[in-house]
Amino acid sequence: MTSLHGPISNETLWYTSRATGVVSMVLLTLIMILGMVITSMRRPYSSAPTVVMALHRWLSLGTLGFLALHVGTAIAETYVKIDLIAAVVPMASEFQPKLVGLGAVALDLLLALIISSLLRHRLPERGWKLIHFTSYLMWPAALLHGFQLGTSDEPLLRAVTVACAVLGVMVLGWRLFATTHDRRRREDVDAGQWR
Amino acid sequence: MRAHEQALVHALHAARLTGRGGAGFPTSIKVAALFDNEADLIVNACDGERGAAKDAWVIEYHLREVAEVVELLCAGGSRTVWWAAHRGSSTAGRLAEVGLPLLEVPHRYVSSEGSALVNLARTGVAKPLELRQPTADGGRDSRGRRIEPTVVFNAETLWRIAQIMQYGPAWFAAQGTDEEPGPRLVSLSGYLSHPTVCQTQTGVPLSELFATAGGLPSDAQMILIGGLGGGFVPAIHVPGLAWGRQWLAPLGAGVGSGVVEVLDPRLCPLVFMGQLIDYAAGESAGQCGPCMFGLPALADQWYRLVVQRNSPEEFEHLWHGVQQRLDLLRGRGACHYPDGVSGWVRSGLSVFAEHIHAHNQGFCPTGGHQPARR
Repeated sequence: MTSLHGPISNETLWYTSRATGVVSMVLLTLIMILGMVITSMRRPYSSAPTVVMALHRWLSLGTLGFLALHVGTAIAETYVKIDLIAAVVPMASEFQPKLVGLGAVALDLLLALIISSLLRHRLPERGWKLIHFTSYLMWPAALLHGFQLGTSDEPLLRAVTVACAVLGVMVLGWRLFATTHDRRRREDVDAGQWR
Repeated sequence: MRAHEQALVHALHAARLTGRGGAGFPTSIKVAALFDNEADLIVNACDGERGAAKDAWVIEYHLREVAEVVELLCAGGSRTVWWAAHRGSSTAGRLAEVGLPLLEVPHRYVSSEGSALVNLARTGVAKPLELRQPTADGGRDSRGRRIEPTVVFNAETLWRIAQIMQYGPAWFAAQGTDEEPGPRLVSLSGYLSHPTVCQTQTGVPLSELFATAGGLPSDAQMILIGGLGGGFVPAIHVPGLAWGRQWLAPLGAGVGSGVVEVLDPRLCPLVFMGQLIDYAAGESAGQCGPCMFGLPALADQWYRLVVQRNSPEEFEHLWHGVQQRLDLLRGRGACHYPDGVSGWVRSGLSVFAEHIHAHNQGFCPTGGHQPARR
């Protein structure tokens, strides 16, 4: 195996995989937060939603690069045996099937989210929305995968994972409970009889 | 479209029948769309406009004819039919009594609007739809749900179709003015000895309409034509007026859904308007900004203008503020509800201008109660 990769040592691959995994996790958290901010915003409000939306989209595409590196190096390195199938099919890995499987679930969902968003103009709005809701599964799966597998023996890296989780949950709480003038008025109106 | 369906569409086109629910859309186009799209059908017997009673009248006296037309339009029962009436109304009772499929509509102003009825029948929520095409063509609602093609007809419109089938398009088109042909129903209510639904046509003097309701009382001062989407007409203008757009449009009113309400001269008209503006603001379905925020804002501005005593500068400022708000509401709202209300308030500001000035000086010409905030 090592001969295939020439000068790149197995160790480099292993560290690259972990580093890109952590970066992906941070980026996914940021994308989730931006997404929740977009849905909570009243629009059209100012130019801010446009900027937030563009960041959300471009970061999502950019994260794919880090993830490709993360998955590619994880397959290439030989400390533990993870093959291409294990990277996309949950529980197919010999090494830590559950934890690697979580990563595979997150990867699959992310691909579905991105492909459906690229085809959004061809999909019914409700279908796209349903698929997009799976991001609330994708993000925790990715975090748990990172927490248990990649950053378990490094306090600093583990702190990054925990910070991502805390920040994301805080924004999720704000998303669920924060109210706007618009939302309050709609709720008032809906309290009346409409059926 | 089959031959007899084609013949019906041609007859309606020749008769130039328009929808009697208020919008006045050519019925032949709607019927053609119903046949083309094999659409389902809703009979609107809600009398949704303020003061309207004619749908109830049609259901009470001409249900058989209406049901026959419905049978014909629905190809002998292969399509779904709903009969829409407000929950607990006498019309709903009558429809249920004869076993027709009743669509119970909540007591909301916007709920009897055509697309709101389609929404109620299809998804169970009586709020106007925001479709990018007529409901007759179907489409998706704002949440992306598919709405099957559905056509809504006012009960009186269906009765008129029955008449055209019986007496012919020429008989129909010969009545009324050339611009708005055909017989029409008008609901007369308010300060009258005998409120009624009268059978009339355009071009008939208003005084003749009032005669069917015991005559316009000599002390009557103001008439509201067209309900919340209409306008005020001072009683002194009545002798020179006839029923029809050409007479009423210059005064900011129209034939609409055929409602005429005489205001009680003993009541302060600003109290009347204030209550109705509050009601209007509370009837928004909370879907479009100009409606859900604009109408409550208008109500606030109205009360500040009318209830408190303002310095001339303040008064000028408030008056200008209300006018600006009305300009913002004109033409707005997916179902045109805020558009209608703004026209109605504009008309009130114009005809009651002196009264509003008097209130600002601290007295009411009616001698009645001062309008109090809610």
